[in-house]
Amino acid sequence: MELLPHLAHQALFGALAAAGFGVLFNFGLRALPWCAAAGALALAVRTLGQDMAWSLEGATFAAAMVTSCAVSFLHRRLGPACNAVALAGCIPMVPGAFLGQALLGLFALTVPNAPEPSALLTDAAISMIRVIFTLGAIGAGLAIPAQLLKNQDF
Amino acid sequence: MNETDAPIDPVVVRHRALERYATTALRAGRMMMESGASVSVVHRGITMIAKGFGAETVGLRSGYASIAMTLHAEGNTITRMLQVGRLGVNHRLDLAVRALCSRAARENMSVEAVEAELDRLARETPRHSAWLTALAVGLACASFGRLLGIDWAAFGPVWAAGAVGQYLRHHLMHRGVNVFLVAGAIAFIAATLGGLGAWLLGSATTQLAMMASILLLVPGVPSTNAQTDIMDGYPTMGSARAVWVLMVMIFASVGVWCAQVLLGMGG
Repeated sequence: MELLPHLAHQALFGALAAAGFGVLFNFGLRALPWCAAAGALALAVRTLGQDMAWSLEGATFAAAMVTSCAVSFLHRRLGPACNAVALAGCIPMVPGAFLGQALLGLFALTVPNAPEPSALLTDAAISMIRVIFTLGAIGAGLAIPAQLLKNQDF
Repeated sequence: MNETDAPIDPVVVRHRALERYATTALRAGRMMMESGASVSVVHRGITMIAKGFGAETVGLRSGYASIAMTLHAEGNTITRMLQVGRLGVNHRLDLAVRALCSRAARENMSVEAVEAELDRLARETPRHSAWLTALAVGLACASFGRLLGIDWAAFGPVWAAGAVGQYLRHHLMHRGVNVFLVAGAIAFIAATLGGLGAWLLGSATTQLAMMASILLLVPGVPSTNAQTDIMDGYPTMGSARAVWVLMVMIFASVGVWCAQVLLGMGG
């Protein structure tokens, strides 16, 4: 019963984050709703995946794949912009906060007499590994459909 | 016989024409590269323009700060290199230059026409205003924050902190301040504002709010471009982009760490 409100929440804020970054990336006003839709789709798929107990990395890969496939089917409408729209939709899944936490964890290790340094190092290493795999999942998830469906860049 | 009466060497004339072809095609490539295109797209665009001019073979090499090109036509070969500026993201300009590349290849446009069109695109391609971008980026940071788990009390402060951070970043970058120093400074300011605002409004997620406030600095497009370049067979450029992403995040993390120390929230 709580799935739908949670799904709607994640999709809404995924859409807002993607559209906000779309403005930063200078997408035209007509393309911004597509960025928002791609962001909503990506976050909805990732949330569904995580609710089915998939790992963050697996759910992110599925979300990037679905988003890339969806915009590929809109290729006639979007033209060469379709790959960029898919990328903007996946921006809310970029694990920037994880990367920040990993680096802050490494800084904390440099404090004289850091408490429980092995725990700090383990936490930082786990965060960094998750960043690498999540970024890899986004990149592979976006690239595979674009390559297989031969999306035109020009 | 003075200098002006000397016969013009046809090889020199052909070289000058080739040089202009190379410079124009490289300029289009530079605009795409600076607008966030991957290396393979940049190379294909440059090749389309050069072939449209009549080049028979085109060789290209892209580094992080330059593009080099060798053109061959009618028995003459020339190699030229063009410096590339700061790599950003400008979707509309990128798309417009790609469209020009297609047109140049399809319609065999003259070098003068392509040059004029590149000038027009650089001058006239619209950009969103700084204040609208700041508001949108602030909203994106706050939305990121909700995805990370900040409470509603922190939403407004993160929005405001992200917007202020983006507005300051825009002006600092236009003044030519080093991109890594900008990342550190903006992270410090945005994290301090976001954290302080969230704390004052009674948020229970102040630490997360500080992190969400700096998410405007996360280089999402360069990090995916790094992978795309490596997958497309350009590991040197992909690695350079990845190192750049890591450096930006290190400076941003130092900024957050300083903000945490200032607000007495760890560090």
